[in-house]
Amino acid sequence: MGDRRRSRRPAATLAVAGLLFATAACGSGSDSAGSGDPNTLEVWTRSNPDPAATYERVFAAFTKKTGIKIDYQPVINFDQQLQSRASTKDLPDVMINDTALMGSYQSQGLLKRIDPADIAGGDQIDAKTWASTVGTDGSHYGIPYSRQAMTLMIRKDWRERLGLPQPRTWQDMLTLAKAFAGDDPDGDGRKNTYGMVVPGSAQNGYAAWWGASFLWQGGARIIEPTKDGGYRPVVDSAAAVRSVSWLKKNLFCTSDNAVIQPGALTAITGNATNFQDGNAGMYLTGPYNIATFDQALGKDKFEVVQAPAGPAGNDVLADGENIYFGARTGKTEQEQALAAFLVSPEGQRLAMTGKSQPVVRIPVNSTLDAATVHSDPRWGVVQKAYEDASVQFPNAPDFAPIKQDTADALNAIFTYCGSDVRAGLKELDDTLAGDLKDQDLLK
Amino acid sequence: MTATTAPVRGARARSAFSKRNVLPWVFLAPGLLLALVFKFLPMGKGVWLSFFKVRPFLGDHWVGLDNYTRVLTDHRFQEAIGHTLLLGLGQSLGAIAVGFALALLLEGQARSLKIVRTAVFLPVVTATAVVGEMWRLLYYPTSDGLINHGLGLLGLGPTQFLDNPDTALWATMVMSVWMLAPYNMVIILAGLAGVDRTLYEAAAMDGVSLWQRLRYVTLPAIRPALGIVLTLAAIRGLRVFTEVYVLTGGGPAGSTEVWMTRAYTLGFTRNDIGGASAASVVLLCVTLLLTVTVNYFRKRGDAR
Amino acid sequence: MSAPAIDPVRAPVPTARTSNSAKAARATPARFDTALGWSDRPGVARCLRILLCAIAIGVFAVPFLTIVSGAFTTHASGSSLSFVPHDSTWQNFEVAGERGIWDYFTNSLVIAGGALLLQLAVSVLAAYALARHRFRGQALVLTLFMLTMMLPEEVIAIPLSLVLGHVPVVGLDLKGTAWGVILPLGAWGFSVMLLTEFMKDIPTEIEEAARLDGVGEFRMLWQVVLPLCKPALGVAGVLGFVMIWDQYLLPLIASKDPTDYTVTVALSILRTDPEVGSGVVLAGALIALVPSLIVYLLLQRSLVTGIAAGATKG
Repeated sequence: MGDRRRSRRPAATLAVAGLLFATAACGSGSDSAGSGDPNTLEVWTRSNPDPAATYERVFAAFTKKTGIKIDYQPVINFDQQLQSRASTKDLPDVMINDTALMGSYQSQGLLKRIDPADIAGGDQIDAKTWASTVGTDGSHYGIPYSRQAMTLMIRKDWRERLGLPQPRTWQDMLTLAKAFAGDDPDGDGRKNTYGMVVPGSAQNGYAAWWGASFLWQGGARIIEPTKDGGYRPVVDSAAAVRSVSWLKKNLFCTSDNAVIQPGALTAITGNATNFQDGNAGMYLTGPYNIATFDQALGKDKFEVVQAPAGPAGNDVLADGENIYFGARTGKTEQEQALAAFLVSPEGQRLAMTGKSQPVVRIPVNSTLDAATVHSDPRWGVVQKAYEDASVQFPNAPDFAPIKQDTADALNAIFTYCGSDVRAGLKELDDTLAGDLKDQDLLK
Repeated sequence: MTATTAPVRGARARSAFSKRNVLPWVFLAPGLLLALVFKFLPMGKGVWLSFFKVRPFLGDHWVGLDNYTRVLTDHRFQEAIGHTLLLGLGQSLGAIAVGFALALLLEGQARSLKIVRTAVFLPVVTATAVVGEMWRLLYYPTSDGLINHGLGLLGLGPTQFLDNPDTALWATMVMSVWMLAPYNMVIILAGLAGVDRTLYEAAAMDGVSLWQRLRYVTLPAIRPALGIVLTLAAIRGLRVFTEVYVLTGGGPAGSTEVWMTRAYTLGFTRNDIGGASAASVVLLCVTLLLTVTVNYFRKRGDAR
Repeated sequence: MSAPAIDPVRAPVPTARTSNSAKAARATPARFDTALGWSDRPGVARCLRILLCAIAIGVFAVPFLTIVSGAFTTHASGSSLSFVPHDSTWQNFEVAGERGIWDYFTNSLVIAGGALLLQLAVSVLAAYALARHRFRGQALVLTLFMLTMMLPEEVIAIPLSLVLGHVPVVGLDLKGTAWGVILPLGAWGFSVMLLTEFMKDIPTEIEEAARLDGVGEFRMLWQVVLPLCKPALGVAGVLGFVMIWDQYLLPLIASKDPTDYTVTVALSILRTDPEVGSGVVLAGALIALVPSLIVYLLLQRSLVTGIAAGATKG
């Protein structure tokens, strides 16, 4: 008995399972409705909530002006998410992200080609800036949106209490760092302060990002273009050995370890918060942090200065954001309209002002002046650093592996105090040659 | 039941599809279906991708065994093998030893013991990300850090646990043991609960020492529990990832880089999905081999 | 408790044992109750035990106070951390709230609830077939389920993301839905094996008696077998919840955009966000800790007895 009933139950189970799938389908169907709409652009930026609020304001103004709707997503773990979306060939229409990622995206075929002439008002971006979005094949793959250069943040109140001048050279900076670490700049009678903050972990390439400015200042480069359109690694140069040795000897392998913050070798920017926590005196970092520091420390507590000069000058790492169009999205006209708005004086101005963090730091639109629009002279310092003394990572090759390998090597050299800098950099040079060879760029 | 009522004619042919044979598969269907679609299919696809240079928008490019040779000859992967083995083995054995000690200490029916057991089990129910965040603070490298403060009271200088390449791997191991030991404790406790009490009584009458009692009465009795603990250790020992990722990110100087953190960097930082897949397939094969071996010895040990 | 059966000597009626063991234990002198022969009487041994227990709590439980204290401290950092907050403040929770932690928390609850139910249902059904029926390919099925535990999530992340974007045959896009996280978590070898081991030890007499009464298979499972498995369900529930709650990569790849994230993903994002300090991260951690704690406290009684009953049998 019961045979028939028994056989019905599995059928019922299957029916329920089917129903569940159907429900799921409805859920996803309604979700993706927006992306099919030709008058809606899905836009991604790599932003925390605070800058995301600025973007929202900018996009609202765009929608009001053109009627094109924006489905805006501030994505923090941008590259993981992009990988995942790329695997299903469903890219966002427009992405705003780091300049240094262009080569990586282009080599994967994620980006549309761009003709500067198609972007209304593109002629207000100067030729040098446009040149930074040229890929290995000579075409443009991004539209410049925002630029910035690293500057040195210093605890002004500490420095003045100790009666020391603003640092002009590496040696000045070191003296100041030692004083911040040893001379009780906060006057609480305890030895609980550090000279400078270093995000020195190899994770996500932080050590290379931070160390690049010092390489530039020592007259070194990581890779450089050759005459025939390729690249070659040059990180084992005498200048590089000199710079890295200086950093190692004076910051990482000191006797009392207080020149840089504790835990620097495993610190990423997320946990290198000593400057804003008020226990470190200097931080060479990007200007987007100004807003954070204003809030945590107070405007009057710190100053923004150009980086001190090394043996070859005071060049710092410059970077910024480009606007990228996702491949195969087929809304080119709307995308171009958005890009034109974003680089127009109006769009740039909107993104530089307001209550929340500015998402345009140094405007790419040559009709604007950073310090005036931000109405803050500190941004003038950043603009000056960007214009007069800054070098970007090469954007055309896929820089991700190069940055990662450089960070791995620098982190290792700084960790092992007994290691030979020259040998370490020679090894890195060979590794980078391999990376370039993988991209068929080694010349 | 069904077979007896079925007509004799054709019974043989139909028996393969009889209710009794089909029924288990009906029960297994949801699990197998979900595993097939969401585990084995992606796994198969992952194996497939490991033979390609993966570029979703440009078309994947067949490279044969290139990814495998690249991974196996990469010196960072080679270094990672040592770290993975040391960390996997160390954390597994450490967690078993500590778990065993905890179980011996906390065995019993008293209410107070139950409370202690509950408290000790806390690390198991905590998300790894949270544990990592906590231990980064505990390991804070100056004398203000909690562990260093404790060491200071004992007259020992502050240690750079995570920033020193000689100690970082051990520091990671300590955290892993801390997370896993209470889990093992519960399993071993369960084994201890099954030991025949009269054996202890008999042992006492024979006047054996405490050590002999543990060695000859307790240990043999909890073999099955230890077997489980070992199997679990074999399954997850080598795929250690999150612990390292949240605590050190593989640093400093790659001194805590394990196989999976390397594979992860390859896949998500360097966008080399093919290479990451190859590395993962290698790991999967080794894990499978290890688990089979452990189970083989377990079975053999039990048969004896 | 997990792995394939290794059949040591089986207790005749093991399910009854758990409830009776306490009473049975009382009958023998206390010093034969534990492997080390702990005694209840005051003495050196007892003092030592109390001391060791205190150390155990100090090592395994007290560090959690740093999370609590850090979450309520304005500028929490490794150098200023202690077991009691310096200045009680809700500010960290407010900041975490502004960053959407409560939305992520809700996502997590939906996913954890759904996935746990699915996982338990799937495991119970599979375990019933594996434990109470004999069929060809049994060993293979068990191995397959065990294999699901061996796959590192990171391995299958990218291919899984493909599958989630377009489920074969039915062709659905599960990305951005809770199902995208729930369904892949449905088949978990660990709980299948645990429940299989447990169900194997339910005496066949009970089942045969019920079958004579004409009870069908599903009712048998639901009304006869399942009530006897409560402790094992407790174990599978707690460990399953922890496993689901701990998922990081799966919710990430199953999401369409950041509004789909879970609290664990949000936590890892907070960690890498230079704009918030450790205090906010710890506040998030505390929020994430609470549900696991509640589930654990609710199910912990059956957890310990369940593992006990499961493990002694193999």
